[in-house]
Amino acid sequence: MSTELAMKTEQLSRVYKAKKRKARGGEREIIALDRVDLEIPTGELFGLLGPNGAGKTTLIKILTTLLAPTGGRAWVAGVDVAQNPREVRRHINMVSGGESSGYGLLTVEENLWMFTQFYGIDGETARRRIRELLEIVGLADRAKTKIFHLSTGMRQKMNFVRGFLTNPEILFLDEPTLGLDVQTSHTLRGFIKDWVGKRADKTVLLTTHYMYEAEELCDRVAIIHDGHILACDTPGNLKKHLQRGVVFRLRVTAIANPERLFQHLRGVQRFSHVEVNGYTELDFILEDENALPPILTAIQDSHGELISLEKRDPTLEDVFISMVGRGLGEGGGSAGTTEGAPR
Amino acid sequence: MTRQRAVESTRSLKMAAWLGWQIESNWATPFLFAIYSIAKPIAGALILVLMYMVIAQGGVQHPLFPQIFVGNAFYIYVAMVLMGVSQAVIEDREHYGMLKYMYVAPLNIYAYLLGRGVTQAIMATVAVLIMLLFGIIVLGIPMPPATIDWGMLFAAWLFGLASLAFQGIFLGGISLITARHSFYIGDAVAGALYLLCGAVFPIDVLPKPLQLLGQALPLTYWLEALRRALLGDGAGQLLSSLSDRALLLILAGSMVLLAVLSIGFYRWAENRAREKGLIDMQTMY
Amino acid sequence: MSSPTRWEIFWRTVMGRAYPRVVGMQRERSWLFFDTVLPLLQVSAFVFIYRAIQAPPEFTGFVVLGGAMTAYWLNVLWSMASQFYWEKETGNLELYIIAPTSLMAILLGMAIGGMVATTVRALAVITLGLLIFRVEVSIVNVPQLLGVFLLTLLALYGLGMLFSSLFLLYGRQAQHLSNLLQEPVFLVSGFYFPVRALGFIAALGASVIPITLGLDAMRQLLFPTMMAQFRFVDVRIELGALAVLSIGFLWLAKRALSYMEDLSRREGRLTIRGQ
Repeated sequence: MSTELAMKTEQLSRVYKAKKRKARGGEREIIALDRVDLEIPTGELFGLLGPNGAGKTTLIKILTTLLAPTGGRAWVAGVDVAQNPREVRRHINMVSGGESSGYGLLTVEENLWMFTQFYGIDGETARRRIRELLEIVGLADRAKTKIFHLSTGMRQKMNFVRGFLTNPEILFLDEPTLGLDVQTSHTLRGFIKDWVGKRADKTVLLTTHYMYEAEELCDRVAIIHDGHILACDTPGNLKKHLQRGVVFRLRVTAIANPERLFQHLRGVQRFSHVEVNGYTELDFILEDENALPPILTAIQDSHGELISLEKRDPTLEDVFISMVGRGLGEGGGSAGTTEGAPR
Repeated sequence: MTRQRAVESTRSLKMAAWLGWQIESNWATPFLFAIYSIAKPIAGALILVLMYMVIAQGGVQHPLFPQIFVGNAFYIYVAMVLMGVSQAVIEDREHYGMLKYMYVAPLNIYAYLLGRGVTQAIMATVAVLIMLLFGIIVLGIPMPPATIDWGMLFAAWLFGLASLAFQGIFLGGISLITARHSFYIGDAVAGALYLLCGAVFPIDVLPKPLQLLGQALPLTYWLEALRRALLGDGAGQLLSSLSDRALLLILAGSMVLLAVLSIGFYRWAENRAREKGLIDMQTMY
Repeated sequence: MSSPTRWEIFWRTVMGRAYPRVVGMQRERSWLFFDTVLPLLQVSAFVFIYRAIQAPPEFTGFVVLGGAMTAYWLNVLWSMASQFYWEKETGNLELYIIAPTSLMAILLGMAIGGMVATTVRALAVITLGLLIFRVEVSIVNVPQLLGVFLLTLLALYGLGMLFSSLFLLYGRQAQHLSNLLQEPVFLVSGFYFPVRALGFIAALGASVIPITLGLDAMRQLLFPTMMAQFRFVDVRIELGALAVLSIGFLWLAKRALSYMEDLSRREGRLTIRGQ
């Protein structure tokens, strides 16, 4: 594998076997990753965008040697993750969102120092880096605080610092801003962008289900769903695919069975719906604006009321909807599709 | 209000008992679980047996042996119930991160803690029965059913178990305001009480000051009552002057006293924990 | 800046992981009571059992010594063997795994850090036990005694590392298996009576647990007269066996840790919580 590639996967798969309930007997397979092919060059901030359960964390676990693949191969820093995991670990570090790691009775500084020792970093270098990084994330005044006194946001900042302390070649960020407030998330995103921007030899793999995060930070984004990579390109190029269509967002009073209402309408390429505070939010990808009036008529006929209508530029979420048929934030919601392929 | 509280308490107790069972029982196959339940008490019994065989004249035929064996058997309740109730605090706080949610929910925390101890009490009962059967069948300890005072046995067992549960709450209060190395506080306290309550030797053997301490412990009277019920006779001379009725009255009275003291202490510990923000503290090291 | 060598990473990891244990104990000192006074009371119970059955005074010494060594056995079971289970639950285990260090170094750090409190507990039990119960000891050979003690610890912690590799794969079984090993090992290793009472074959089988040989040897060196009739085998044989066990367990632990880590990675168990 070329050493200009920070990471590469070839037909990478991970299948879990779960036991069925006693009455049904046997096992069932859960395909978490299905023949994933990726190439991430050195110096890139690469995003992996997908809903919960798409396979993002599974991919990161394999690349960080926490999980073995059941098929295919993967290399990190030119090293096969399955054959030589110990060598891989010299080149990487990881930060996960919602972490509770660390030792409650130790201070922020002490916890961070302890982790640097696992990487063989000498005391002086460790202390200097800890000081600098705590300053950057705004935790310098909490350096001597025991971590069980920290809020969730502060704890995540500390974990963030832990990931960067070892100055890894490749950093894995698994939903690093999960559950954080806007201000903290903004600070940490700025930090990530700055860190990678100033260091051509550093690579970051970021997983997220916040599309604005992927758009803001990433050089390239792969969209993953049900263990498959659906698309992989720059955010701009991904959105360009949608410029053949027009995107509208409608907010209406709650309507029953939107699928039946819109699925036969001409000009509707894709749509998704979500209930928000008693309203129904509808996102349409239409061939052109002429497809809009029949939609409005259908809403009126079903005794719905139009609250707002917005024409907008396509986002990555729209790209996702166009590929999958539902939004990133939707759980098991159904989506309307036209019959057959997009028109 | 009273009815609502009663409903909450019952719900808390039932839910906690179910939860305790789920936690304790789902880690192994039933076969391994059975081995675990049998091996521990039998091993404990055999330590005593071997000590007697090595030293005592007559080995297990020594006149003291049946009393000591019975005391040792029922002592299983002490460690398991004390641990079961007190460890629930640390497990829920540090391991499952759920203690804060228990405090936010409208449940009766005492009923909850007692419920968590129910599973340990059931497992202890099985272990005690196995040990008694081992003693009767393998070691030949005489305990014919016709000679057992079942009424006294049941009453003593009930009062003693309740007292242990309240002591567990007391220790749970300590756990609430200390770090997780008090995870074994139940075990450690049980180990200490082993010395003073006459479980494995008559308290007559202790120096006078320790005898007095032993006589202040409800546990001492509990074991004496159980021995009399099962074997017709207690261990040692110090308690022999007490009638069976007196023993049971002491047990009932101490149960009430322990209930008041332990709940009172737990309340104080709770307030302290709230003041210092300890209810969701993490102290792993 | 040059990359740190493997040995540098190893020793820094040991010191790094020992640190939370040492510091944690100082910051919350309730363990001083739980780990000294209460175990002493428990040991005293066994002393009084022997007094009740009129055992020779040396048996008091046997019990005190056995009680002191329980500190190390419990430390191995609870602070080493099942420790990775706790680390997994808090999310620390995955951070250890992805670091370019070895799990042996992490475990060694835990052992060294935990040994401070464990040794305080053991010393408290021995000192107070010998003083309170006025046990007379006649130390036959100080270098041998030290050698036995140190080799016992080395073999014991090697066994602890081996256990922790097994427990890497398990969830709550780990905790319960540790619990299961408590009383049975107190029995078969002769913590409270000379192991010879179990019979030669049983004692031989029990010798796989280093404390069995260690206790027997230490009793022989401290109470030579009484142990003449109760000893298992000669001290020199026990010393040799302990050395073999040390090397054996450490080697097995290294192999087992590596194997179990790979197995856990394949089965996806390294990061499962709440098992």
